[in-house]
Amino acid sequence: MIARAERAGMGVDRVFTPRNLAIAGIVVSALGFWVVLPPLTQRSILWPIALGIVGALFGIAAVTRGVRRLGWSAVVLSLACMGLGILATNSSVGHLDSVVVWSALFASMLRWATPLTFAAIGGMFSERSGVVNIALEGMMLAGAFFGILAAQKSGSWEFGLLAAMGAGAALALIHAFFSIQLRADQIVSGTAINFLALGVTGYFFVDVYGELGTPSEIPRIPDVHLPLDRFKFLDEVFGQLNLMIWLSFALLFVSYIVMFKTPIGLRIRAVGEHPRAADTVGINVYLVRYVSVTVSGILAALGGAYLSIGFLGSFNENMTNGRGFIALAALIFGAWRPFGAFSACLLFGFSSALAQRLPEYSGSAATLFQALPYVLTLIAVAGVIGRSIPPAAVGRPYQKQ
Amino acid sequence: MSEQVPPVQQPAPAEGPPSSAARLSALQRAGGIVPPILTAVLAFFVGGLVVLATGHNPLTTYREIFAGTGLNWFFQFGSYDIGVPFSDARVWFPWNVNDVESEAAFNLQQTLLAWVPLVFTGLAVAFAFRCGMFNIGGQGQYIVGAMVSVWVGSVWVDMNPGLHVVLAITLAALAGAVWAGIAGFLKATVGAHEVITTIMLNWIAYWIGNFAFGQGGPLQNKLNESVPVSSDIAEGAALPVFWGDPLLQGLHIGLLIALAALVAYWLTLTRTTLGYEVRAVGFNPEAARYGGINVARSYILAMGIAGLFAGIGGAVDILGWQFRLGVIDIQSSVIGFIGIAVALLGRNTAVGVALSALLFGALLNGTSTRNLDPEVFAPELAGNLTLMIQALVVLFVGADLLILAVWARAKRIGRGRHSGAAEEERT
Amino acid sequence: MAEAAPNVLELKGITKQFPGVLANDHIDFDLRRGEVHALLGENGAGKSTLMNILYGLYSPDEGEIRVKGEAVRFHDPGDAIEHGIGMVHQHFMLIPVMTVAENIVLAIEPRKAGILLDTDSAVKKVEELANAFRFRIDPHAKVENISVGQQQRVEILKALYRGADVLILDEPTAVLTPQEALELFGILRNLTREGMSVIFITHKLHEVLEIADRITVLRRGKKIDTVDKKGATEEQLARLMVGREVLLRVEKPPHETGETLLKVENISVVDDRGLPAVRDVSFEVRSGEVVGIAGVDGNGQTELIDAITGLRRVDEGTVTVGGVDVTNGNARKVLDAGMGHIPEDRHRRGLILDFTLAENIALHDYKEEPDSRYGWLFPNRLIARARGLLEAFDVRGGGPITKASALSGGNQQKVVVAREVGRDPRVLLAAQPTRGLDVGAIEFVHRRLVEERDQGRAILLVSLELDEILSLSDRILVMFEGRVVGEYTPDVSPEDLGVAMIGGGREQVVA
Repeated sequence: MIARAERAGMGVDRVFTPRNLAIAGIVVSALGFWVVLPPLTQRSILWPIALGIVGALFGIAAVTRGVRRLGWSAVVLSLACMGLGILATNSSVGHLDSVVVWSALFASMLRWATPLTFAAIGGMFSERSGVVNIALEGMMLAGAFFGILAAQKSGSWEFGLLAAMGAGAALALIHAFFSIQLRADQIVSGTAINFLALGVTGYFFVDVYGELGTPSEIPRIPDVHLPLDRFKFLDEVFGQLNLMIWLSFALLFVSYIVMFKTPIGLRIRAVGEHPRAADTVGINVYLVRYVSVTVSGILAALGGAYLSIGFLGSFNENMTNGRGFIALAALIFGAWRPFGAFSACLLFGFSSALAQRLPEYSGSAATLFQALPYVLTLIAVAGVIGRSIPPAAVGRPYQKQ
Repeated sequence: MSEQVPPVQQPAPAEGPPSSAARLSALQRAGGIVPPILTAVLAFFVGGLVVLATGHNPLTTYREIFAGTGLNWFFQFGSYDIGVPFSDARVWFPWNVNDVESEAAFNLQQTLLAWVPLVFTGLAVAFAFRCGMFNIGGQGQYIVGAMVSVWVGSVWVDMNPGLHVVLAITLAALAGAVWAGIAGFLKATVGAHEVITTIMLNWIAYWIGNFAFGQGGPLQNKLNESVPVSSDIAEGAALPVFWGDPLLQGLHIGLLIALAALVAYWLTLTRTTLGYEVRAVGFNPEAARYGGINVARSYILAMGIAGLFAGIGGAVDILGWQFRLGVIDIQSSVIGFIGIAVALLGRNTAVGVALSALLFGALLNGTSTRNLDPEVFAPELAGNLTLMIQALVVLFVGADLLILAVWARAKRIGRGRHSGAAEEERT
Repeated sequence: MAEAAPNVLELKGITKQFPGVLANDHIDFDLRRGEVHALLGENGAGKSTLMNILYGLYSPDEGEIRVKGEAVRFHDPGDAIEHGIGMVHQHFMLIPVMTVAENIVLAIEPRKAGILLDTDSAVKKVEELANAFRFRIDPHAKVENISVGQQQRVEILKALYRGADVLILDEPTAVLTPQEALELFGILRNLTREGMSVIFITHKLHEVLEIADRITVLRRGKKIDTVDKKGATEEQLARLMVGREVLLRVEKPPHETGETLLKVENISVVDDRGLPAVRDVSFEVRSGEVVGIAGVDGNGQTELIDAITGLRRVDEGTVTVGGVDVTNGNARKVLDAGMGHIPEDRHRRGLILDFTLAENIALHDYKEEPDSRYGWLFPNRLIARARGLLEAFDVRGGGPITKASALSGGNQQKVVVAREVGRDPRVLLAAQPTRGLDVGAIEFVHRRLVEERDQGRAILLVSLELDEILSLSDRILVMFEGRVVGEYTPDVSPEDLGVAMIGGGREQVVA
């Protein structure tokens, strides 16, 4: 009798694993928010509250069964969705229609996420090899400026991208030289690179372009037009995206394969986890770190170049304005994994996209929305929703015998 | 178990997050004053190369920047007739200390105005360093302090002036302490790396500031809704000016507070049990724990005190000469970041922080739009030159610590040859 | 059997100088095919240096290395590996988050499609290799989840996978349980039967006689002799190893014991990885006696010390110091209850090397008068107090304002002893108090401990050095796998104690 009951219970358990509970919580609470938005636009306050509570309960159930990270995510998300949902039911339908245009939001999210993706994946290479890279910001900025400078002077965006990569690589090599060769503190070195990039780009920007700023006729990285006319939604999201956005998708898969499916990745990770062990089997720790840091510089600079010659078509001083740090945050939030980091970039990109559209709705709140990535990362490193564990040797200079 | 030779094995990788600052802090006090000076000279030299490469003359540029710093005020040697303090008598003196109205005097006031907050943000970084932490969050703590002080200063208009100043500074200091304390708390409780948390806190403070004083923000001034700036602080909340024109950014008593902070910093570290704990934890947290010191408490306190300094820095700027805080101020401010260079170059000592803050204060002021003749060198360029020099200083500080270490090692080897037997059983 | 076998390896006149230490002084060494050649010597005799030279981690100042007759120069381990030399380090060179197979194939990974990592073939190769030498190992397991003994096998497989026919094992049994050590010896026999040669670094005599074919003894950087196992005795080897009769007796008049000052009742503690390290341990130490805790490294002694001194959580049981329950208090509480603690590692814990001696001596008392009052510190009083203590304990090489890092190891240890004894504790816990010290300093510490006992303190001595335990203790407890497995009087023979330390003895409680 008892045995049978237990067996039946086990069957149920297979469906209601804690993990599934948490996912269900996330889905349900998101649903609660979604129904009050266009096109459904339910006007009852009960929808978000009821579904939010259900979602939170699922989350709590998951947490009590040991799935902390996902469970807490569900709880936090359901509370957020409940709040946002209530706000949405309080605002006019006209407002909602103008802010929440899903296709435009998604396209915008991809545009904002792309520079972050490049930089975050670049950061992954550096940090997986054991070198902290808080200089992503500076490398992006250098890429943005030298990209637009070369593109404008040569008249070709391809040259712009090459120059950006060169600038990112140069800064990365400085970082590598000081933090690998001279074994200087990696944080100090990274801080210095950020200032150096700020100073150098600002200096040359003023020296070359003066008060007028970059000219309006800049060779831009082209958009890719896809014949998706038949699918309206897909067309609006994917029909006309910049080449760099597609490249970022490709980069995502390539970097995953390189990092986790090739000998090169195995060695990079070995160097980042236990450099002495890697050294004793004949891996050149310095070389691996040099290459990884340089790759991170190149990728971060590509992200910056996308900002200047892909997205905005102009440059101004300190235009990255913290995006390198958001990329760093995404890297940490995504637990040093390509898809994790990319998901975080999408999340942060979405918050940027929403903040862009929110001013029509509430101006000052939109500003506050920009702090979201940093708050979330603070919560993530605080371990409330499960800790992100960095590579073991990250931040330690390696000294060869 | 191991032989008494340089260890082959590094500590097991699972030993916990690396404390970059712990390693730095040990080396920070080695080598005296020569390496920092060389670092600065080298940074200026490389900066000069950039100036040269872009078709300007570095020598005239630097001379012009120096003239704008007001430091030439100290070099007015010659034959002067000056007044004796507290009397009407006048005597001959070889140095013109009587000059309080010349351009040099005004420039010096401006340099010292920049010196004051740099001392505070420099101390904020230095104090955390002494406890083995790298506080990159001086900028955020400075902004939080500035925001609180402008709020306190502009809300209670009719308060007793002295009390108002004290209250504004105290609350700003506490706000900075709490802001930094979050990072200390997270390190102490869950081991979150302070570099990451302080970076995040910087940007959160940045966006809160943009929100609070931006258009439609809760702390924006009510007089002109199109200007994203706070209300002005009450007259009674302004710091008294003791040198120069109070209406033209004269030098306020924040200078004295900064001097007091330097002394307090030194006393706290060397003459209090708290300072003893902080230094013990900074050098060797495990030994500190063994000695009975509450390491977690030390982390939180050290970060809190660091934030205290930065918060006062923000308050003193607002109450001393800015009188209001705009979104543009928050976006363009780098005082907290320069504090990193100040602390590193100053080797985390009180005197070092004072001197390197003077260097960067002078540089900031000498390259400002007001002082630099565009004919010689465009001030916009010079501002970026300052950033570059600052970056190079930080970069070279990282490296010169290493050069020092190599030097110390060479010295030890040399000494070892002379008295090998005595060191034989050193592990 | 090894007589006729050719040399696979020869070292001639190897010399290596480190700052202040001549680590290797013209050492000759050879290794025959199919033998286990033990390298025996005390800590600091130069064994590890010699092997690190052979493995390309250090380059020798003088001397020649020949592999199968060919003179070679190694610049890094890669060169050594190429010549068929593999090393199993004492601290494993394994990456915890990776699988066994990944660790083994690292740097010479099998590939598919030219660039991709071929995990299946890696696993297969590891399995084949393990089967060839009769190992049991799961190639898919993550290294962090397998036992220390298995990790060591992964290290051996790593070397074999790289084609090693010479295997260097650096103190391989230090981290193993006795069963694991026996299994290791079995593996080594399998290896030599297949024609491999093994260099076995150790300072444990009984292991040498169990596994080695020949034995080379080093002492203070010099080669003393190479002997065949046949005919070699422990006494002979011991004499070669230490250069004198092993006789480390301390003048120790009998002494009355008094009240119980340290009482440990049924405590259980876990280690850093959360595995049980101390299991249900109870004992007490009375005033006027030295209780020694003997045991092979890693049998829970470190965790026991930490638990007693408030530095590690006690999961079960109680610790009482001088009648005060200090279970799960912090270090401060234990100190205040009257505990002095000479820690195992003076660099990690005992001293703050960047502090002056005066500051180091104040480490426990800086918060109290006369050192400070109301949070205000009086550096001059610290210096005055330190000056007296440094003189009383004969610390040489520096005064109160000298940095601790400037002293020699022996004098550093005297500073620690001075601080702990100077506080007039009722209980003194001395953990490895003479590790890394020269003979003079050892004698000083030993004499001091006996004096403190005679003054009525309760002394708990934890040491890996059997001699030390035997010559100082009034009672001896043996720890094995986290438990106290026996209690002995100091007239017990070292052999009996040794048997108990590796888990072989039966309980012999002396009433």
